[in-house]
Amino acid sequence: MPILNSVYRHREAGHVLTDLAAYRAAGGFAAIEQSIGEMEPDDLLYVFHRSGLRGRGGAGFPMGRKASFLPKDAKLAKYVVCNADESEPGTFKDREIIEMNPFQLIEGMVLAGYAIGADRGYIYIRGEYEHQARVLDAALIAAREAGFLGDKILRSDFSYDITLYRGAGAYICGEETGLLESLEGKRGQPRLKPPFPAVAGLYSSPTLINNVETLSALPPIVTQGADWYAALGPEKSPGTKIFSISGHVVRPGNYEVVLGETTLRELIYEHAGGLREGRQVKAVWVGGSSVPVLGAAHLDTPLDYESLNAAGTFLGSGGCIVMDDSGCIVRATLRLASFYRHESCGKCTPCREGTNWMERILQRMVDGDGRMEDLELLESLFGRISGKVLCALADGAVAPVASAIKMFREDFVAAVTNGGTPRPAPMPVVEVR
Amino acid sequence: MADYAPVDRAADNMVTFELNGRTVSAPAGTILADAAYAAGVEIPIFCYEPRLGPPIGACRMCLVEIEGMRGMQTACSTPVTQDMVVRTNSPAAKDAQDGVLELLLAQHPLDCPVCDKGGECPLQDRTFKFGPGKSRFIEPKRHFPKPIELSSRIALDRERCISCFRCVRFSQDVAQDGQLTMQERGARSEITTFTGDAYEARFSGNITDICPVGALTSIPYRFVARPWDITNTPSVCGSCPVGCNTELTTRDGELKRITGRDTPNFAVEEGWLCDKGRWGYDVAMSPSRLTTPIVREAVGDRSVSIEDGVAAAASLLTGRRVGILLGGTATLEEAGIALDLAANGTLANAVLARLGVASGNCAPLRAVTGAQLGDIDAADLVVIVGGDPAAQQPIVELRVRKARRFGARVISCGARPHALESLGEFTRTAPGRLGDAIAGLGDAIAQASRPVILWDEADLASDPGAIEALSGLLAASPHATQLMLGADVNGAGLSALGVPTTGLYEAIAADEIDALMCVHADPLEAAGSVAWQTALDGFGGSVIAIATYASTMTERADLVLPALAMWEQEGTLVSMTNRAQRLRPGAAGPAQAAAGWEILIAIAHHLGHPPAYRTAASAFGHTVASHPAFRGVTPDLIGTDGAVVGAWPTADTHPAAIVADADHLVLVATRDAFGDDMTARSHALRTAVSAPVLRMHPATAQALWLNDHDRAVLVSDAGNSTALSVRCDTRVAEGVIVGPLGAPGHPIEGALARNQHQALVRVERA
Repeated sequence: MPILNSVYRHREAGHVLTDLAAYRAAGGFAAIEQSIGEMEPDDLLYVFHRSGLRGRGGAGFPMGRKASFLPKDAKLAKYVVCNADESEPGTFKDREIIEMNPFQLIEGMVLAGYAIGADRGYIYIRGEYEHQARVLDAALIAAREAGFLGDKILRSDFSYDITLYRGAGAYICGEETGLLESLEGKRGQPRLKPPFPAVAGLYSSPTLINNVETLSALPPIVTQGADWYAALGPEKSPGTKIFSISGHVVRPGNYEVVLGETTLRELIYEHAGGLREGRQVKAVWVGGSSVPVLGAAHLDTPLDYESLNAAGTFLGSGGCIVMDDSGCIVRATLRLASFYRHESCGKCTPCREGTNWMERILQRMVDGDGRMEDLELLESLFGRISGKVLCALADGAVAPVASAIKMFREDFVAAVTNGGTPRPAPMPVVEVR
Repeated sequence: MADYAPVDRAADNMVTFELNGRTVSAPAGTILADAAYAAGVEIPIFCYEPRLGPPIGACRMCLVEIEGMRGMQTACSTPVTQDMVVRTNSPAAKDAQDGVLELLLAQHPLDCPVCDKGGECPLQDRTFKFGPGKSRFIEPKRHFPKPIELSSRIALDRERCISCFRCVRFSQDVAQDGQLTMQERGARSEITTFTGDAYEARFSGNITDICPVGALTSIPYRFVARPWDITNTPSVCGSCPVGCNTELTTRDGELKRITGRDTPNFAVEEGWLCDKGRWGYDVAMSPSRLTTPIVREAVGDRSVSIEDGVAAAASLLTGRRVGILLGGTATLEEAGIALDLAANGTLANAVLARLGVASGNCAPLRAVTGAQLGDIDAADLVVIVGGDPAAQQPIVELRVRKARRFGARVISCGARPHALESLGEFTRTAPGRLGDAIAGLGDAIAQASRPVILWDEADLASDPGAIEALSGLLAASPHATQLMLGADVNGAGLSALGVPTTGLYEAIAADEIDALMCVHADPLEAAGSVAWQTALDGFGGSVIAIATYASTMTERADLVLPALAMWEQEGTLVSMTNRAQRLRPGAAGPAQAAAGWEILIAIAHHLGHPPAYRTAASAFGHTVASHPAFRGVTPDLIGTDGAVVGAWPTADTHPAAIVADADHLVLVATRDAFGDDMTARSHALRTAVSAPVLRMHPATAQALWLNDHDRAVLVSDAGNSTALSVRCDTRVAEGVIVGPLGAPGHPIEGALARNQHQALVRVERA
C-alpha cells in the first residue's frame, strides 16, 4: 500500500526497489542528475541545511549544520561514513531501508559526498546484517555500472565511490568515533573529543557521519525541495520518522509518521494495532532502549523531538518498545542493564564498572537479595556514571534504569519487600497480522 | 612514575588562569593536569602518562569543573587557556573523584597487604588522598587464576587491572612492538598479547613501571621487599654508552630491583629502560662473578683477602715498568687515578691505554654542536648514518620512534640493516662507501629546520670518506646537530681524559713492560684478541687483572682482584652524548671485592705514595677535574641529572680505512645489547637472548656455497674467528657479513684488528 508523504521511495511505491531500474522508475537518481555537476556543492549543502533535517541516529543533530563543520580546504581528503550499525535494541528501520531500498541510501551518500567534496564513502554495516550487506553490495555494483558511482559520476568532475565494511557485532561501534576506530581496523572504542569527526575523523581526515535514515532522506529533499521537507511536521524538527515498534503490540513493525502529527497512543493503538485484549500499557521505551522509559500517563505525547523531551525522554532511534501490564518492570530493567554491561567497551571507568555494578544490584533485587538501601545506592550511582564518560553509552545505560526507578518505584520496593520478583509467565505467541 | 609532564614556567607564551581561586600561570596549551601539578595542585590521574603520547581520557579520574563548559572535563585532555576558571576541589569535582575511585575499587581486590605494589601504588595513594573511605560494593569481586606470566619477567594479576591502557599504549605507540592489547570488553576486559604468546620485547619491563596498580609486576622482584624495607638510589646504567638514568632498589645491602626514575631524565632516557638495563643486574650474582682475590702460583690458585691481594699487587708492581690497560667500562675515577699514578711517580713512566674503538679521525664530527637524546624529540629530520642503534644503544630506538610519531622524517644509510630503517627512507651502502649516501642527504637536511644526525662511531671511524662527506655536510648546515652513537660505555670519558687506544700493545710487543695491570679490560676478548694473545704469549712479566667477572684474562692473570660491579660502586661515566653521570652504589657487593678506584688508591698506599684523595669524589676533584674537558665539572655539579662536558681532544690514532674489494668481504661487527656475554649470564634475561650468527645476503652466501645454519669461519689479516652459524638476510648489503661483537666466547673478535669494528675477511666453511 503506497504511503502518502513518505520520504522513502519504496514506501511511496509500495514495493521493494532492489532493482536499479525499478528504483529509477520510482523517481530514483533524479536527485543525482539534478545536482551533480549542475549545482555548486555549497548550494547543495544549503539545501540540506534549509530542509531542517535532523540526524536520525539518535542524537538528532541538524544534518546540514554537521556537514557545514567540515573544513572547505580542498587539499584534505574527506569522507562520508554511513552508520549502518543499527544496534539499538528495538530498532530495525535502517534494515528495512537497506533491504528494500538500497539505492536511495547510495544516492543520498553520493549527494552528501558531493556537497562536502568527499573522496570516498564508507558504509559501516553491523555484522549481523549479513543479508542486508549482500543487498547493498549488489546495489553498489549496479550503481557503479550505471555510472552513479566511480570515476566522473554522470560525466561530471566528481569522482566518488562507496566501500561497504561489515562490523563484527558491537553496540559501541554505532557510536560514531567507536565506529571510525573499528572502520580503521582497531578495537571499537570511542575517541576523546574534540577533535570531532568533522575535523579529524576517519584516518584523521574530515568526516561526515550520518545514519542510514538520515542519508536516505537527502534525495527527496533535493528533488522535492528543502521547503517541502521543512514544511512536514513541526518547525524545529521537520520531516518524517520511521518508528520500529516491538514488544507487546499486535502488529509490530516499521511505521513512518510525520513528526509531531502523531501521538504515542496513535502509534501504538492505530498503527501497531494496539495491545492484546485486556492489557494496558505499562511501559514504553520510545527511542530505543537507551532512553528514559515512559508510562501509560504519557501516551498522548506527540512524537517529535521537542514533545518527547518535554515528556522526559528522547526520540532516539525511534525503536519503540512497548510492554504491557503482564511484564515486570524490574526484570525488564535488569535485562536492559545486562545489555549495557555486556556492550560497555570498557574504556571509561564509570561505564565499565558502573554498568556492571548496576546489573549486579538489579540481579540481587530480582533474585530476592535486594535491600532498601540499594535503591538509594543505585540513585547515587547514576550521576557518577552518566555524563562522566567519553560517549553516550553510559547515559544510555543509566537512563532506562534511573527512569524506571523514578516512575515505577513501587515495583522496585515490592521486589525488595517481597523477596524478589515473580518468575514471568511463558511469553504468549502473538499472531502478527 | 613521571605522571605529570614538567612545565616550563619561564616560557614566553604564558597564560594566567584561575585554579581553585588562585591565579596561576602556565605556557598556553599546557595540559591542565600538568599545569596544576606545577602549581602545586594534584589532580589525580591514572591513564594519563605524558610520555605515552596524546591523552586518551579513559580513566576519568581527573574530572574537574571548568566554568563555561558543560559537565565535568578531563584535566588530562584540556589545554589551559587565558582566564580559564578551574575548580578541582568543588563539591562536584570531589564527588566525581569519589565516584571514579569507588567505581575503580568496586572490582579491584583489596589485597594490598600481599600486593607487590602496596606502599608505592598510585591507586592506593590516590584512594587515600582523594577517594571515599568505604566501598558500597557488596557483590563478590572478579577472580582469576593468579598470576599469569605475561612473560618470564612480568607477572599479570588480571583482577587488579583497572584498564587504564597504559601498557597497551606503551606497546603500541612507544615501543611499537605491537604485542599488547585488551581482549574482551567492558568489565571483562583483560590485558593480553595478540597471539596469546609471552610478551617478549626489549622494552617490556617499562610496563611494570607505568602500571598504576599491582597488575603488572616484575617477576624477579615479586615478594622480595616492601617499600619500607628498601632504599632507592639514583644511579646510571653502565651497560651501553647511552647512560640511562636508573633507580636502584636496595634491601639489606643487596640490589633487588632497577627501575626508571620517578623523575626521568628527559635529556637521556625519558624514564624508559631496556630490559637489559632493568633486569641484567643478576649477572652480579652469577657464577662468573669474581668474589675473592686469587693469587695464581705454581702450586695452584690461592684465595686471599682483599688486603693481601692489594699488597700482592703492589709487590708485583714495585720497580717494574708498568702498563695499565683500561676497559671501556672503566670509570673516570679509575682512569684519572691511573693517570695520576703514572704522572706523580707512584708508577713512574707507566704506559696507559684503553680498549675500545679508535675514532680520533671523527674529531671533525664531534666539533659540530652536539645534541642530547632529548633533542631528537623536537627534530623534524632524523638521519641515522651507519650503526644499528636499536641493537647497540637500545633506548635510542624509542627516541627515534617518538620523533617519527611526531612527524619527523627518518632517513637511514649504512651497510647493515636495523630496526629503525622501516621508519623512513634508507639507503644500503657498501662498506667504505658511506660517503656516497651522505652526499645525497644534502637536500633533506637543507629542507629540515631541526635536523639531528646520528652517526655510528665505529662505522665512521673505518670510513674516512664518510667522515669527510659528513663533516662537509654538517659544516654547510649550521642548523644541524649531531649525536654520536658510541661504541664503548665510557669511551667518551676515557678519550676526554686523553687515554689513547695505542701504545701499550706496542710497548708489550717491544718488551718494554714488566707488569701489566688490566682494569675492567680483557684484551683477549676484545677486537684484535689474536694479536693480543700473541703479544701476551711472549710476555714474561706479571699480569694483574682488576675485574668483576671471570674472563679469559682473569684465567691467565697472576693476580686477580675482584672489582665491584657497576651497581655496587661510585664512579663517573661519560655517555656517548658527552654527559658525565654518576654511578651510585645500590648494593654492598662481595666482602672481599672493592671498587676499582679504591684498589688503585690502596695500591698507591702500599707503594709508599699515599695520594691526597681517599674517596671517589675527592679522586675526581684531584685527578679528573684538572683535565681540560672537565674544567669546572664537580661531582656536585653532575648531581643526579648529569652534566655535559667539553668536546673531546683529538689525540687518538686513526684506524685503517675499510673498503670492500673484489677479494674480500667486509665484516661489520654489531654489539647486540641482548646478544652479548652479559645477557647470556643473566637468568632473568634468559628468554631475551639473541643467538650469535653471521648475517649475510643470500647472494653472498650462495657465492660462498653456504646455506642457512651452515657454520663458517672468518679469516682476516688479524686472525680467525671461531665458527658461527650463517643466516641469510636479504637486507644485508652484498659482500657484507654482520657479526656479533661481544657474544659469549667472543667468536668474531679474533678476525678484527685492534680497536676497530670492521675488517676485510675471507669466509671458510667450518
